[in-house]
Amino acid sequence: MTRFLAVSNRKGGVGKSTISVMLAHAAAAWGRQRVLLMDLDTQCNASLMLLGGEGWEKASRAGRTIADYFYDRFDNVASDEAVYIINNVGDVAHPRTAPGRVSLLAGSQQLEDIQGELYLKQSKKDLHADAVALLVRGRMKRLMRHFGMDCDLVILDCPPGLSFAAHAALDMADQIVVPFRPDFVSQFALDRVALLIERVENAEQLASIPFAERRYCCLPNCLTGAGHERLLIEQIALDHPLLATRLPVLDSIARAFDWDESKKTMEQKYADALAHLRKLHAEVFAGTHWRAKSA
Amino acid sequence: MRKTKALSGAAQDAYFRRALKRHGNLSAEQREQLVRSLKREVAQLRLRLIPLPHAGPSAPLPATAAAAHPRVETSAGTKPDVADASFDPFCPNVVVILRTSGRAAALAALANIDREEHLRLLAREQRLSVGCEVASLAQLRAAIVSAAERRVANRVAAAS
Repeated sequence: MTRFLAVSNRKGGVGKSTISVMLAHAAAAWGRQRVLLMDLDTQCNASLMLLGGEGWEKASRAGRTIADYFYDRFDNVASDEAVYIINNVGDVAHPRTAPGRVSLLAGSQQLEDIQGELYLKQSKKDLHADAVALLVRGRMKRLMRHFGMDCDLVILDCPPGLSFAAHAALDMADQIVVPFRPDFVSQFALDRVALLIERVENAEQLASIPFAERRYCCLPNCLTGAGHERLLIEQIALDHPLLATRLPVLDSIARAFDWDESKKTMEQKYADALAHLRKLHAEVFAGTHWRAKSA
Repeated sequence: MRKTKALSGAAQDAYFRRALKRHGNLSAEQREQLVRSLKREVAQLRLRLIPLPHAGPSAPLPATAAAAHPRVETSAGTKPDVADASFDPFCPNVVVILRTSGRAAALAALANIDREEHLRLLAREQRLSVGCEVASLAQLRAAIVSAAERRVANRVAAAS
């Protein structure tokens, strides 16, 4: 059964796209899974990391992005989902005989505009605004689910804002990784995204849900080892489930995503970040503490 | 050409040991104590690959000066003396104790700290705002816990 994993945080610059791509590589290489990365962020960083600038531009011109997919399907243009997917992306070499691979539904800068257009189209049905929003989200969710057919894992790289697509992704995900940088405002961002994920209205309602039953887990990222980071992580751990993995600031992570056409091994690509990635992979994909959504 | 090199982790620790070894008047135990303090406070250092042109050979420092010379940066950019380096301004975590065990427990945890400068350093590093006019240690501890209460209230308000 296909698993949907979202990587989300309403705050920008916390490493969502980087972690999405790292997890995609790890699941394909070590978990031998067929992975689809769905780029919902209009910055398209994950797409640029996996295709390079020219590859992404080519996909955009060919109408093979997530915005094209939504637009076509809302207009009932019948075409196979596979048309929109670009296979074997990224610069990690996977053995031909192994099933593991990374595919991409490329991001688009048009996604936000298109969501507005889709909203207006649905509005013509004379519904209340909230009902229209629910309709659009529900339709997007169903359309995203179609991609579960030919892969084992779908990673949803969410945008920082709260678009219909982001809401749909949070609704449908079985698990959500919430990366954060331990700084003062991150606490507020985590509190807010947790309310959305667990569909509650305030901190008290959130506190009544045991950690083991929550769909999300927070990942401290970009750590420098400073004392105030420890302080904030301890405070955040009172309210939110945390992964044991801690990702430090590492040049090797930053440089892993300089676009490079030559294929390489995971060891070559991630260098001294490899041990951290192995730990993260083991924890995210073998973790039993996360509630299965269907349970 | 690169002029500096970043060191962190084991390479940084090894550099601290090498640098402190030049000061023969420090015992091995004192050196290790300083390395431990520096490890706790410094995340990364940048080493000059070419020494500054007018820097003469470094002479061993007198014992007292050597102990006071290496200074560490905290997140606020303050430079507490190494004499204070054994004090960890991030421990106890006042907000965590307040939320898990209450005001009395937070005050009790602070009761172990009996130097005003340590309490003020803790307040500054944990972003717990206390006034300069607080007179006694007891008042200072109470002001720190009150600031932690305001911090918790602030976060709850933002999440509602």
